[in-house]
Amino acid sequence: MIIELREFTRVEGNGKAEIVIENGEVKDVRLKIIEGPRFFELLTLGRHYYDVPDLEARICAICYLSHSVASVLGIERAFGVEVPEEIALIRELGLIGELLESHALHLYLLVAPDVFGYPDAIRMATKHGELVKEGLALKAFGNRIRVMVGGREIHGINVKPGGFGRYPTVEELERVEKESEALLRLARRAVRLFAQLDPYGAQARHFVATDGYLWGEKLVSDEEGAFHYTERIEERSLVYSFAKQSRYKGETFFVGALPRLLLKSEMLTPAAKRLFEEHREKLETGYVSYNNLAQAIELVYSLERANEIAKTLLDRGIEGENIPVEPREGEGIGYVEAPRGVLIHHYRIDASGKITYSNIITPTALNHAMMEASLLEEARKLYGEAEEQAMIGRLEETVRAFDPCISCSVHLVKL
Amino acid sequence: MMDKLRLGVFELTDCGGCALNILFLYEKLFDLLEFYEITEFHMATSLSEENHYDVALVTGTVSTQRDLNLLKEARNHSEYLIALGTCATHGSVQGSVELPIREKLKAVYGDDGNPMRALDSKPVVEYVAVDFALPGCPYDKNEVYQVLMDIAKGIEPVRKDYPVCVECKLNEYECVLVKKGLPCLGPITYGGCNAACIRSGLGCIGCRGPLPGEVNPASEYEILKDLGYDDEYIIRKFKTFARWEP
Ligand code: SF4
Ligand code: SF4
Repeated sequence: MIIELREFTRVEGNGKAEIVIENGEVKDVRLKIIEGPRFFELLTLGRHYYDVPDLEARICAICYLSHSVASVLGIERAFGVEVPEEIALIRELGLIGELLESHALHLYLLVAPDVFGYPDAIRMATKHGELVKEGLALKAFGNRIRVMVGGREIHGINVKPGGFGRYPTVEELERVEKESEALLRLARRAVRLFAQLDPYGAQARHFVATDGYLWGEKLVSDEEGAFHYTERIEERSLVYSFAKQSRYKGETFFVGALPRLLLKSEMLTPAAKRLFEEHREKLETGYVSYNNLAQAIELVYSLERANEIAKTLLDRGIEGENIPVEPREGEGIGYVEAPRGVLIHHYRIDASGKITYSNIITPTALNHAMMEASLLEEARKLYGEAEEQAMIGRLEETVRAFDPCISCSVHLVKL
Repeated sequence: MMDKLRLGVFELTDCGGCALNILFLYEKLFDLLEFYEITEFHMATSLSEENHYDVALVTGTVSTQRDLNLLKEARNHSEYLIALGTCATHGSVQGSVELPIREKLKAVYGDDGNPMRALDSKPVVEYVAVDFALPGCPYDKNEVYQVLMDIAKGIEPVRKDYPVCVECKLNEYECVLVKKGLPCLGPITYGGCNAACIRSGLGCIGCRGPLPGEVNPASEYEILKDLGYDDEYIIRKFKTFARWEP
């Protein structure tokens, strides 16, 4: 017998799952990504590098800036370009804006309705209007940063190899400094709310993240040493899904807010670090549902870090100079922490600046096997115990905890 | 008070931006909800009461059999259907890979070929008649607000019919095409974004699709050639968001 879950709601993109029952037991779970393929790597082949980050941004609206930055980093590394601190800080600020926008969307609009028993945030707002408003305030702030750094709320083209089209102004940075401080109170409240929830889903066995907090030169894991994705991560196609599946040394693994906290807690800002320590024991159990709590702690981190960056930039003043970029034959990988976890853009470029190879791996694809494992675990626990409707509801929540971004996951290519 | 209009949001294959942009309306979303009741919007609600929609917003391209079925359902059950965003109106970026679907799938998924039934990405407007088309990758959120408000008040919404250049002039931005020699498609692209990219000092990449009618793609082509861009580059640029011949 196969129990077919309807298409997931309150997640980005189109996906569903099937639970295979044999002899009264849960035998298998298949997570089907039914969003159509989007062929992004093919789209970038033969294109001039300068145009590529803007195209890659279109992979995903919720985290377009992570895609532009990962793309820019891959291109710059292929050309051996290094940018000065000012540019790096502004990019980081952009990624923080994205983290705020994406986590607030996920926690307040997509997950909170589960917590309070509503089908959506709009209907939840009649009783919990304050909370919804707080979420929207955080999200709007994140988006203002995205406009400032990325050029638009969605699919801006301001992030370029070697710098930006336009640099933030003093007034904009002062505003970031002020608002980030004012919003900190709301983020702390979110941590309290999401810390109350009981764990569900599987416990992850391996965690992977970039070696810096929001981007890096390489990846790190719970095991020894930094590495390139090609050394330990393998992808394969599935017959029932448009997204491929990845394994870390043959095993399931987890990328996202929880892995970031667990692997890089020493890089956190003071208040975020205190909150991490307070909830460390829980988080270290590795239950995927604690990803929600981890995201709430990251709201605090993001606001503190945005404040720090704005101050630093205001103190040293903005020069607004781009670094000259000259194409040369090369290969580069950009590693970024998208809100949902590790994002990889890998390119080869020829001497005239055209892309000859491109591979993109998104967090949702990296998490695909872990999501299936989680669904299997939860289905085994609930099948025969809970009402079918209740089971299906919980399974949906289990998927939602990953904050999956399905649109992103469907264009992986090997050429 | 009058009955609210039933609004459905249907998302085919896309980046999620055109659906997300509705949530980015913030307080204005609540203003819209004075007139509309959302009965289908799978990114935002678990509620789904498929039957009849006064207004259906459809985002994305038709890239699978599922997309096609969903589109037909939306069309058959709605009074007023809006193709929302450049994916739905022109195919946007995912429609620009011009290989046959078989070859594309093989390149991505290897010899196992087509894991499920995929179709060549095509805009919504190629499959069904639409009542209104609002391009933009993504569209300007205030525009969709205006369009939905107009419909609620019984006014037929108007389509913008001027190029991005006009908005650039109104904002008094420096022309990046003439002054910086950047490849800017502003002169031949549908306005309505308030020249967002020129605000960043960068050229328009044509995300709102080509403005038909009086604009002159041939002269844009010549300008770019004079600036030193080669044919292939220009053609690719023209064809990124919409399948049109320069
Ligand atoms: S038109 Fe652009 S923003 Fe809208 S869904 Fe398509 S790719 Fe995304
Ligand atoms: S300037 Fe061009 S590319 Fe930018 S938003 Fe407007 S239409 Fe799109």
